[in-house]
Amino acid sequence: MKLYDYILSPSCYKVRLLAALLGIPLELRAVDFHPGGEHRKPELLALNPAGSIPILEDGELRLTESAAMLVYLASLTSPDWLGRDTAAEAARTEQWLSFAQRLTASLGGARLCEMLLRPGDLAALQAAGIAALRELEAALFAQRLHGEDFLVAGRPTIADIACFPYVALAPDGSVSLDPYPSIRLWLRAIRALPGFIEMPGIHRLHELKPEPVHGAEGEPA
Amino acid sequence: MPVALSSDIPPATVIPLQTPSGPMALWRSASGRLSMSADRCPHRGMRLSHGFVRGEALSCIYHGWSYSQDGHCLRIPAHPDLEPPAAIRVATATVCETGGVVWLALAQTESQPPRFSHHTPLRSLAFAAAPTAILVALNGRASADGSMQGELAGLSVILLCAPQPDGTSMVHVLAPSDATLEERLAISSATEALRRTAETALATEAAA
Ligand SMILES: N[C@H](CCC(=O)N[C@@H](CS)C(=O)NCC(=O)O)C(=O)O
Ligand code: FES
Repeated sequence: MKLYDYILSPSCYKVRLLAALLGIPLELRAVDFHPGGEHRKPELLALNPAGSIPILEDGELRLTESAAMLVYLASLTSPDWLGRDTAAEAARTEQWLSFAQRLTASLGGARLCEMLLRPGDLAALQAAGIAALRELEAALFAQRLHGEDFLVAGRPTIADIACFPYVALAPDGSVSLDPYPSIRLWLRAIRALPGFIEMPGIHRLHELKPEPVHGAEGEPA
Repeated sequence: MPVALSSDIPPATVIPLQTPSGPMALWRSASGRLSMSADRCPHRGMRLSHGFVRGEALSCIYHGWSYSQDGHCLRIPAHPDLEPPAAIRVATATVCETGGVVWLALAQTESQPPRFSHHTPLRSLAFAAAPTAILVALNGRASADGSMQGELAGLSVILLCAPQPDGTSMVHVLAPSDATLEERLAISSATEALRRTAETALATEAAA
């Protein structure tokens, strides 16, 4: 299975993260998204005319939407992760997959403005991002009241993976995560999952690593 | 002043807070002891709230210097054999926890935080509005202890508002202790509606 990937892309990271959590090996093909703009050059436009990444290929199958990739990976090995135990659960999972697109547009858009200096109405993107974070916080609080740590159940599903990266990276778009206690606990629960992998800006829980016997944890002091 | 709800800071976690004395890191040790320190590592200024708690110490994410509850530097990973000099320490503040609410003592002389016998904490959320606007939207009463009483979803609630340096408020909502799950969910939704009212009133005022 081949993923056209860019290390700093939260949408690509969703796919890498779920594959890692499920133990599915991926062949990574690095795309020069920035500064090369390779996703908008003929070779990649032939695979995805929309000019976006990730792109996932498995034999004859080619997918260009990260949500579909998450469904595919979970269906292959771990139907539990599909979040489809009941009609209501299936519908709620779909709802979060759609909600994730709002996160991409708002928080992701703010991040592109701030990091890649893309043109855009930064204040409007941030406001839309804050509105989405408030909805997420309210939903996660309700989940906590029900004794569940994740978006649609007591176990993680593709809904969590779809929403996780852009939320965790909100500060890259100068949107603070400080006012959201339930989001903070949810991000922590995801970062603590066995098999969790990092991307630049998103770390695993350091406290779960053994105390270093020697040398610094980060860069040399 | 009220700064957080106990349930939002489980053992071995650290959270950022804005207080009148600046940004602070509130952390709970593995054994459950709560401490507060300035949110700035004495080494190179990294936010300690980005760090992590291991055992009874708070560690900085940057180079791993770790600090005790009283703010002393315990360990410098790059120099494992060095006993960190006593001069290396982070400023701390006094916090106390009653009835599921964490309070920061703003002055040594401050009286004991209020106790609420019939209410328990529900959730905290940020309002882009000052406490005065929130009180108006709630149509509630302010008590001498700084709390607000009112009704949300037809149930009696107590709001503890902590004004933030940026003009917003962190609102800690207390629900009746005997409220059912459905009633708690209803209060949570009604608080969101209250926020919309308080923030809209503010916008209307600004436009006028
Ligand atoms: N098809 C969506 C799009 C993901 C997306 O927004 N990808 C970004 C990179 S993170 C992209 O390719 N943007 C095109 C561009 O900005 O030129 C998905 O798979 O979720
Ligand atoms: S900045 Fe905190 S250890 Fe270096």
